[in-house]
Amino acid sequence: MSPYRRGFKSMLPIAPGIIPFGAVMGTVSADAHLSFFQTVSMNLIVFAGAAQLAAVDLMNHQAAVLVVVATGLIINLRFLLYSAALSPIVQNESFFKKFISAFCVTDQSYAVMTAEQDKFKTNHEAVQFYLGSCLCMMIVWQSSVVAGYIFGNFAPKSLSLDYAIPLSFVALLIPTLKNSKYVMVALFSAVVSLLLYKLPFKTGLIATAILGICFAIFLTRKKAAK
Amino acid sequence: MIPLGYYWLNVALLAVGTISIRGSIIALSARTKISERVKQIFTFIPAAILPAFIAPAVFYHQGQVEMVMGKERVVVLVLASVLCWFTRSTLATVGFGLAALYLFTNL
Repeated sequence: MSPYRRGFKSMLPIAPGIIPFGAVMGTVSADAHLSFFQTVSMNLIVFAGAAQLAAVDLMNHQAAVLVVVATGLIINLRFLLYSAALSPIVQNESFFKKFISAFCVTDQSYAVMTAEQDKFKTNHEAVQFYLGSCLCMMIVWQSSVVAGYIFGNFAPKSLSLDYAIPLSFVALLIPTLKNSKYVMVALFSAVVSLLLYKLPFKTGLIATAILGICFAIFLTRKKAAK
Repeated sequence: MIPLGYYWLNVALLAVGTISIRGSIIALSARTKISERVKQIFTFIPAAILPAFIAPAVFYHQGQVEMVMGKERVVVLVLASVLCWFTRSTLATVGFGLAALYLFTNL
């Protein structure tokens, strides 16, 4: 079996986990009165679920452009880590393959790649495997967003679809709370976000993120000093 | 309704910013390494920013702290969080949350 196909198949068990999140993205886009073209375009050119969901929510509240973009990019900062891990593998590939590899960096493709890392004979094979898994990820993500968008256009208003955003973020957040320090940072950010909520253009969100990260630095430094 | 120009400006900047983050280290060098300390701090990003979306959506629903009308959202959030903790399932969390909120507000 070619590395592309193996990569595609390796993503299949993870794919069902993406579907509800993609469906929420599509539903929320429909709820925000975005056109089908706008929804699909954003999916294709940004291709970053949590950041997209945050962006649609913020745009719906008329947040400042700086806030929308900065928030999305802070959420996407984790891709730097994946990019660093992928970098040595793609160095000898063409510019086009490097670009596509970078563009398709996601939590899921990184996870599949890492799990299979020891099985590749060459970096070229690893890249082919990775691109195969990315294709699967892209198909499942786009399809689930489209399905969610169609549902969102027909769903009754009494379903409170706006609430799917905080619920999705709960589903993203909870698996990352690995110990009490993460829980403390999350509670700290929740309280700060409420205190700063009235700041204009949703700038309280950026302030909360920065303060939350500073608090995390403080908590982890304290441990190192002991 | 999100204004068209505002939407596309945000999407374009987000797209350029995101591909810059994704491609940065690939474009720089294979030898670029991120320190363990930075990696550790990066793992706190979801905990630092996601609650800032969750808490106001629950407590500032309808634009102000509304403990009567918003109470069902708090209850649903707590129940959905507990469910998520045990199942780690997006489908279960979102599905249960929306269904529970519908029942709380419509029955």
